[in-house]
Amino acid sequence: MSETKILCNTGTIDLSIEDISEEFEKLKTIEDSKLSLNPENADSGLAKLVLTLIELIRKLVEKQAMRRVDGGLLTEEEIERMGETLMKLEDKMEELKKYFNLTDRDLNINLGPLGDLM
Amino acid sequence: MGNLIYAIIFNNYPDKLNSLLSGMKGMSGESLDVVTLDEISAVVSHIERAELIADQTSAMAFAGIIEKLEQHFTLLPMRYGSMLESVDLILKMLEKNYPDFQQNLQKVENQSEFGLKVFCDPEKLKEEMRLKSETADNPSAKSEEGIKKSVYLDYMNKKLKEHRLEEKLLNYIDLVIAEFTGKLTQLHAVSKIKKRSTATILIDAVFLLKKDRKDELVQVVKDSQNQHPELNFTLTGPWPPYNFVDINLK
Amino acid sequence: MGNNVIDQSKDITILELLDRVLTKGVIITGDIVISVADIDLVYLGVKLMLSSVETMEQLKAGKGINELQKNNSI
Repeated sequence: MSETKILCNTGTIDLSIEDISEEFEKLKTIEDSKLSLNPENADSGLAKLVLTLIELIRKLVEKQAMRRVDGGLLTEEEIERMGETLMKLEDKMEELKKYFNLTDRDLNINLGPLGDLM
Repeated sequence: MGNLIYAIIFNNYPDKLNSLLSGMKGMSGESLDVVTLDEISAVVSHIERAELIADQTSAMAFAGIIEKLEQHFTLLPMRYGSMLESVDLILKMLEKNYPDFQQNLQKVENQSEFGLKVFCDPEKLKEEMRLKSETADNPSAKSEEGIKKSVYLDYMNKKLKEHRLEEKLLNYIDLVIAEFTGKLTQLHAVSKIKKRSTATILIDAVFLLKKDRKDELVQVVKDSQNQHPELNFTLTGPWPPYNFVDINLK
Repeated sequence: MGNNVIDQSKDITILELLDRVLTKGVIITGDIVISVADIDLVYLGVKLMLSSVETMEQLKAGKGINELQKNNSI
């Protein structure tokens, strides 16, 4: 193919074609991450499903907590207690991920027309 | 023997299609054929399943054929590797999906697809935003100064900063998209936009618009690029409408 | 320098093209996986499971629904 279809490609950021290919690769893996359960992977498949849901809820809690803190109505003591809880939740999550050999990218499910869960 | 399907075509000029196809070859040099039901045809070639290799050259040869057809006919491109065993099955497929094909073909008539990816340098962008927010937040430093006593408060502080940065980044992306789509409305483009597809790709968008309005789109992109020198705008096209075939095959 | 720009334009065009022809477009059913780790695209695996009425029935029964929905997302 001799022609190119680039109509506009400007800007100041220096991206090599390797960088760009890498981003395409990431786009693809996100697209490909869908939940498949079968007899062979029932254990890890279920762990993935459960951890995905836990992680989703944990992130929602974290986000909500940050909004509350940002709102400025919490006392320092409350913030500290929140911090302790969130930190422990995060640590526990890391532990579970390690135990089940899952990465952050695994903990996302493609919901078809709804897009990605996270 | 299988039938590799290249595209679903609105076959309003059968003679023109036949003469076009007679001058073309399939992926492995075999002849191209049509399977027609009323006004809609599938362009196919007969090929062994085993012959269908998934390498870059083959996929591009496949795309090249679709591209050539698209210069003369309104079509829905098929994904590489779509095969049906018999002409009978193709006819059944056409029949079952006829209304959907018809509707989608009408939608893409005289239109082309364009792709826009907006790249950023995530580290630099975040750093810029952090600097901006620090100068802005400093007067109300009470939360920053106050919480330094415990590891949990430190943790919250760190999380809070990340959270604010992320919100700022999302607001920024929304702003860029809003500016862009605002300029786009007069082009009557259909658009599908994804935010923050990866850390580097801030925006991943595809547009469907009238073929003759290409230059206007290029101008819109160039304007946005000038407005945001910190980002890379990459616009490609025109493409066959790969991203605008909304069909649930039956 | 000028050549690099042309090469890069060509490479991006190829990436965009492959992204379209392999992951978009009308799909009957199937599963084609590519890796874009290198500039030359390497295919990790190809599974073309099209063609029979059986497959079509499976598709209807929900087996390939993910694929189809994926196709319609964005």
